[in-house]
Amino acid sequence: MLGYYLRLALKSFRRNPGLTAVMVGAIALGISVCVVTLTVYHAMSGNPIWWKNDRLYAVTMDLWDPKKPADPRHPALPPSQMSYNDATALAASGIPERSVIMFREEGVVSGGSAQRKPLPAGTRMTTADFFSMFDVPFLYGSGWSAAADSGPEPLMVLSKRENEKLFGGVNSVGRTLRWNDRPFRVVGVLDDWFPIPKFFDVTTGAFGQPEDVYIPLRWAMRLELAPNGGSTDCWALQELHSYRDFLNSDCVWLQMWVELPNAATRAHMQSFMDAYWAQQHRAGRFLRPRNNRLTPVDQWLADNDVVDNDNRVFVGMACAFLAVCLINTVGILLARFLGRAPITGVRRALGASRGDVFTQHLVEVGAVALAGAGFGLLLAVLGLWGLHALYAAPERGGYQELAHFDNASIIWAIALAVVSAAAAGLYPAWRIGRLPPAIYLKSQ
Amino acid sequence: MGWNIRPVLSALLRNRTGAVLVAVQIAIALAVLVNAVYIVHQRIEKMHAPTGVDWRNEFWVQSEGFTSRFKAEPSMREDVRYLRSLDGVVDATPANSVPMGWSNQSTYLFTNPNQKGAQLSVSFYAMDEHGLNTLGAHLIAGRAFRADEILPPVEAQNATDFVPELIATQSLAKLMFPGTNALGKVVYDDAGHAATIIGIINDVIAPSWSVLQGWNHVMLIPRTSTMYGIGYLVRTVPGRRDAIMSQVEQHLAASNPDRVINEVRSLEFFRNRLYREDRNMEVFLITVTLLVITICCVGIFGLATFNVSTRTKQIGTRRAVGGRRLDIIHYFMIENALITTAGVVVGCALALAVGYWLSLRYQLPRLDLYYLVGGILVLWFIGQLAVWQPARRAAAVPPSVATRTV
Repeated sequence: MLGYYLRLALKSFRRNPGLTAVMVGAIALGISVCVVTLTVYHAMSGNPIWWKNDRLYAVTMDLWDPKKPADPRHPALPPSQMSYNDATALAASGIPERSVIMFREEGVVSGGSAQRKPLPAGTRMTTADFFSMFDVPFLYGSGWSAAADSGPEPLMVLSKRENEKLFGGVNSVGRTLRWNDRPFRVVGVLDDWFPIPKFFDVTTGAFGQPEDVYIPLRWAMRLELAPNGGSTDCWALQELHSYRDFLNSDCVWLQMWVELPNAATRAHMQSFMDAYWAQQHRAGRFLRPRNNRLTPVDQWLADNDVVDNDNRVFVGMACAFLAVCLINTVGILLARFLGRAPITGVRRALGASRGDVFTQHLVEVGAVALAGAGFGLLLAVLGLWGLHALYAAPERGGYQELAHFDNASIIWAIALAVVSAAAAGLYPAWRIGRLPPAIYLKSQ
Repeated sequence: MGWNIRPVLSALLRNRTGAVLVAVQIAIALAVLVNAVYIVHQRIEKMHAPTGVDWRNEFWVQSEGFTSRFKAEPSMREDVRYLRSLDGVVDATPANSVPMGWSNQSTYLFTNPNQKGAQLSVSFYAMDEHGLNTLGAHLIAGRAFRADEILPPVEAQNATDFVPELIATQSLAKLMFPGTNALGKVVYDDAGHAATIIGIINDVIAPSWSVLQGWNHVMLIPRTSTMYGIGYLVRTVPGRRDAIMSQVEQHLAASNPDRVINEVRSLEFFRNRLYREDRNMEVFLITVTLLVITICCVGIFGLATFNVSTRTKQIGTRRAVGGRRLDIIHYFMIENALITTAGVVVGCALALAVGYWLSLRYQLPRLDLYYLVGGILVLWFIGQLAVWQPARRAAAVPPSVATRTV
């Protein structure tokens, strides 16, 4: 029966090839625009470490100006970074299973065996837990131990990309490199790692590459480094005459994350922060209302506006477009089915039930939707490929990974095709099935 | 006969489905069209905001010393001397940041000491006495910095020292001292250090568009910076920029082994990067709007064609009893106008709702009603255009059709 219906559908397509093309084209366009925008939106809003969403928390405290919030767009939120004294005091609590304090610095590396001249390298000055906390994969070696955070040894970890540039990709663990003209020993090389968005530090752009060099935070204090390449925000201009003054200031420049394995440790950490806040408040700091936050990753991404409004508009517009395409298809299908009403009347008179007529037309609709979805998927691949080319250029942001066609896109496309077929086809097929055959037989 | 609406309306009401579908399409199309045009208009205005500088002929070089042998100040002096000596270079200056370059330094300014009086967050360009000429900005009042007024570079030790004098943009001066002449007035930083406004220049664009501050809340200070690497802004004669950029990059990379060149970028690059989201938005919205309207036209056309073909006999009858061709054309045009009107009424509500959501999201002023009126007219016109050809075809139906199958 299905074969017969398919043949009927094919016949009907041949009778009106232009109209069929319009329907298939409209569905294809609508689906492809939707799939492209949803794919980009999905990549932007994804939580790249979702399996730790109930364990990882960004730590923030509101030490800002009593007269105005840190970010007027989000007056309820504390600044997104921490001051040195507060971060180290909280890390010393010993409550979190892991904790990390870090910032980004632009450094210069030299002395690699495959390198001809000194090269600038984005560097993360961080404590040891960074690698285990964020599940960073290693190709060679490992991170440094917690003891090395306070030890005298100059150690470093390289990204895979950097290791290829400096050592031609060979295992460089144990070799010594110069960073800002000081020797550092390589203890580990990362494997490919590109979380999207770059959730652990959104101050330097939420879709950039992770840093290429990792060095214990302690070296920043030894070499008196303030973020160069990150951001430093100070609300009160304090007289800063030495690096010590900077460390003691209320300037925020460090990102802090903690790993709290369960609700009890979370509550414990929160009460520790509150107690610390109260003690500092009595001493004349923290002049704004108490606002100590432990923010899980997905909330963190929302708080920091990682998905911008433009992308919501894109998705909304794409959906509106798909809706117009579908309504259009409903109109065309309805017109076409009703135009064939006399033939349907004959079929009904010859014994086809309402259900048969309904199924027959549904097959026709299904064929249109399937073709539309197929072409839509093809168009979406082309569209994403174009976006990829457009975005990869550095002045466009270098967002290479954002516009990748993934499984999610295929699922979106199939889901949209099914929904489209149902939305566009059910009503016309039902309507034609309900037509009383007698009228159409009479007038012939 | 003329414009008789009642028979058209009663025929429409008898056979609603197709008309309702087209009306819904028109409603969505209106909401999309009006809001897309509104957003695109805002973005175009933003992208065409005057920069106040000669950005087409300027580029930025950023260098970073990394050894203990590296001496920032002598290196800076030597580089600037080299840059200014080049054939084709109009002028060059050390700079902490550049227009549209994203990396931004700002401070609060107050009109009274102790953080009192009018207060503004202000981006600053830390440049030497060649800064104004290199930017391509011009003085409106007062004077530029003299060479002997340029203070030693900012380092960590003197990071919080303020400057005794500054040059403000026109908008900044007006906002700090509304209604009076800001020239010669004194402003204060957070810590209460005073600085005199010695010059007022045209509005110069800040390194980034910030919500905290307008794009033109900008000042020049007479002090360079070596704190975050050393940067230079270079202005060339038209047409020579790219050649000079590569020449400079090669020379600076080789001239001093104790530093690296991080970045050599034209201001045009920064400008493209700064506005890339706006440009993407523009392209996307225009494309989708055109697609929506096209699909709508196809829908209107399709419905009208279908109606014409199913009503051939009725049309013939009407012609046979004295209806003119013009009456038939009018009939279909009026029918389309009625459908469009229904769609537009619903579309207005939809457009306003979407506009309200957008205004909340973007903190923009509410949708202007002019856009709505414009959108309605456009859809009316397009609807009539789409129905024109089927209506002509209907008018061509000969009266004899009426007699054939009865």
